[in-house]
Amino acid sequence: MSESVDAEASVLDRLRGRLEGPNTYGNSLPFWAVFAVVIAGLALYPQLVGVYTVIQTSRYFALAFLALSLSFIWGYAGILSFGQVAFFGVAAYTFGIIGLNFSSATEIMAALVGAILVGTVAAAIVGYFMFYGGVRDTYVTIMTLVIALVLNTFMAQTAGSEWAVGVAQLGGFNGMDIPSLTLGIGQSGFVLERAALYYALLAALVVTYLGLRVLVNSSFGLTMVAIREDEARTRTFGYDVPFVKLVVFTIGGALAAVGGVFYGSWGNYIDPTVFGIAFAALPVVWVSVGGRESLVGALGATVLIERMRTELSSGIGPIGSEWALVIVGGLLLGVILFMPAGVVPTADDLIARLRDRRTERGQSTNTPEEAIE
Amino acid sequence: MSTQDINVRQKPAVAATGGNTETLLATKALTKNFGGLTAVDSVDFSVTEGEIRCLIGPNGAGKSTLLELITGQLSPSEGDIYFDGEDLTGMETHNRIDTGLSVKFQSPHVYENLTVEENLQVPLQRTDRDTETVLAETLERIDLTEKADVRASELSHGEKQRLEIGMAVTLDPTLMLLDEPVAGMSVDETADVAELIRSLHDDGMTFLVVEHDMEFVRRISDQVTVLNQGEIFRQGPIEEIEADEAVRRIYLGENA
Amino acid sequence: MIEVAATPLQLSAPSLGALLFQFLNSFGFIILATVGLAIIFGMMGVINLAHGEFILIGVYGTALTYHAGVPLPLAMVAGVVVTTIFGVIVERTVVRHLYDRLLDSMVATWGLALVISQLLLIVFGSSLDSISTPMGSVSYGPFSSSIYRSIFLPIVAVAVLGGLYVLFTRTEFGVKARATIKDPETARAMGVDTDRMYVSTFAIGSALAGLTGALYAPALGSITPNRGSTFLVEAFVAVVVGGPSVIIGTLSASAVLSVFNATGSFFFGTFIGQMLLLLVAIVALRLLPDGITGYVKDWQQRRRAEQ
Repeated sequence: MSESVDAEASVLDRLRGRLEGPNTYGNSLPFWAVFAVVIAGLALYPQLVGVYTVIQTSRYFALAFLALSLSFIWGYAGILSFGQVAFFGVAAYTFGIIGLNFSSATEIMAALVGAILVGTVAAAIVGYFMFYGGVRDTYVTIMTLVIALVLNTFMAQTAGSEWAVGVAQLGGFNGMDIPSLTLGIGQSGFVLERAALYYALLAALVVTYLGLRVLVNSSFGLTMVAIREDEARTRTFGYDVPFVKLVVFTIGGALAAVGGVFYGSWGNYIDPTVFGIAFAALPVVWVSVGGRESLVGALGATVLIERMRTELSSGIGPIGSEWALVIVGGLLLGVILFMPAGVVPTADDLIARLRDRRTERGQSTNTPEEAIE
Repeated sequence: MSTQDINVRQKPAVAATGGNTETLLATKALTKNFGGLTAVDSVDFSVTEGEIRCLIGPNGAGKSTLLELITGQLSPSEGDIYFDGEDLTGMETHNRIDTGLSVKFQSPHVYENLTVEENLQVPLQRTDRDTETVLAETLERIDLTEKADVRASELSHGEKQRLEIGMAVTLDPTLMLLDEPVAGMSVDETADVAELIRSLHDDGMTFLVVEHDMEFVRRISDQVTVLNQGEIFRQGPIEEIEADEAVRRIYLGENA
Repeated sequence: MIEVAATPLQLSAPSLGALLFQFLNSFGFIILATVGLAIIFGMMGVINLAHGEFILIGVYGTALTYHAGVPLPLAMVAGVVVTTIFGVIVERTVVRHLYDRLLDSMVATWGLALVISQLLLIVFGSSLDSISTPMGSVSYGPFSSSIYRSIFLPIVAVAVLGGLYVLFTRTEFGVKARATIKDPETARAMGVDTDRMYVSTFAIGSALAGLTGALYAPALGSITPNRGSTFLVEAFVAVVVGGPSVIIGTLSASAVLSVFNATGSFFFGTFIGQMLLLLVAIVALRLLPDGITGYVKDWQQRRRAEQ
């Protein structure tokens, strides 16, 4: 082997070392092989299907940020928020408000940054009040849901013309127009829509997913998991638990905000139902079904469940669109009762057990050193 | 319940072992009330650098409460706590740990779903010590090298206790607080823990150990403080304490 | 409901009266919206996210029976019975498995909530005919208030809390229930059938939700499958602010919250009233993480210690 190949291999190894660890599922070469195939397949997807499917799939990708956001805070730090949609929606509205008032490409890019910032700061403020106020467990869950519901009430009554920021009408239940994301400088820009939006979302999602994998497998990730497992004990090792939780919640808010901007600009529209109880339930469904401790599970479940909802919206056989929410609710109920860890962790456990059974008995519990002896 | 003044409280003889050694931890008139119950009653107590100080006393004497006041999980009703020259009294728990304290609670509080090695990493990653070296050394010390990749939930009770002491040790504290480190352990396991404490002490670590097991206390201790009804009842070398009739009455008598 | 005059509000006797009625209206509403949720939370630690839908089942049970020709009071009884039976079924099939997984129980009951409200839509359509509010209204100056909402329901609400107080302090059931909550292990060792205590408590919580639904069936206006969430914000906020002690917590939280809610709604409209609720909840949580009753307990302890 030449030295350059060696060096290359060690860089790859180091990269894998960063991406892999006890806090993520899929720490093997086969996983990365499948991952590469899936990404390649998704990259080719727009060439294979109609524009309608591409646009729909972009929507699933935008929503997947919301799923990553919840999986990150709930699955890793044990903070169950029912209100991630609040930061999602606030960012979407903010993007619309800034984008409608300023329309050049540069300004829309600034709107993107501004909207993510506002969503993130909103999460930081809520997080500060909760975690420094000693608000725990169930109370966090309720508070976050109440915040979303109150935003729902608030936005729903902004139909009047006095509810405007500059030229942007909030529009109450009728919703608000939102410009498309545009990349560029000055007046001319490249508008992200259809396949371009699809690719932008795919790239952003892959980068975010890999980034989160690095983060949860880092020492910060171990801290999050320690807090999830035993908050009091972690404090007595000298950790500033409220601060860590605040940081986690803020990152979660930022992820939701990114999703919100993409979602708003995807449909060129946002309305108060993003703060409503039915929409707020969806991230919890995706993440519970996919497995809260599995980022890849949350991604997969989001795309599949939303795909199913899209299919159902035109009805499948005797099952009309009105059954979609019944199925989604039933799915959530069923998973919590019969598969509490969610699909990916349960499947991973099953595979590990099958593998153990195939190899010689007893070897599985030994340490590597012993196995070599 | 009100405390009865059967016994005259003894003013603590600071640094009973010798004149010049430095006081590491000191409480001044430390008091904690729970509702009507005074769990810790105006305690002046100190630990000298380099000693293994054992805190004994019957159930409900306030031992664990005193420990929780020192770590900051409880805040005192009155009084102050000084450690290494700093006033800890108003500090948050995590800041107190940073001053060089480390604690191991009575029942094992390990992270059940993490492996032994991850358990050790949680405290260790807060320090700037070399991870690989300290991990290997600590695993060796607590005799869990072979179980480094085993989930803590699969460990025996004694192994969990050792693991938790190991976790507390990785912080490299100046003062180690141990709450009943051998509770529920077999004779062999108890001997292992005593050995572990002695070896850490030889390396210069100071200990405050709350303990029930007099056999174990005799094995490790230089100095004993007897707590009774939230007050300091006696202090001194272990032989003296054991010979004290009054202590026998309130403490040993109860167990006999 | 109160019809506010178009002219700018002045603090005259009639407008103060209107404010008082608004307060009573809000007070009764928050107590009734909360009490079923608070019982289940306070006794079992479980937050029933389908609480709004439980109330809705009470509304539907009452409305459907009433529209079938049964007199309103009897129809209300039917609403309560239906909700109680439903609650017992839910406890036996779902909640029972989740007592040691509190966050999961919230998630599961949320799934249930989606299913219930959507099934109501599928089975009964987008709305039921509304029931006119009984007892008429009282007029004073430019205002008028519904007697049913602003006088009758607040009285019922306080009576319900009084009844619960008696149930939990003066009866054998209450003693057993409190023993179970305090320490299930010990209670079991002393021969209390804790399993039955949990079903009974959940049944009582469900019955109270059903009662709330039945009482508000003629006061909601339009009856639609999404009305469940009307009750949720108030109920959640009151539980959070009140803390774990059911009766005192519900009563004190309802009183505090309805002052803010009524004043806000009266002067600035419903949504400001609701925003104020949220603000109060956030501030309350910041100052009293264990709710009002948690604070009271702490304060009592400290006072006892000083004596």
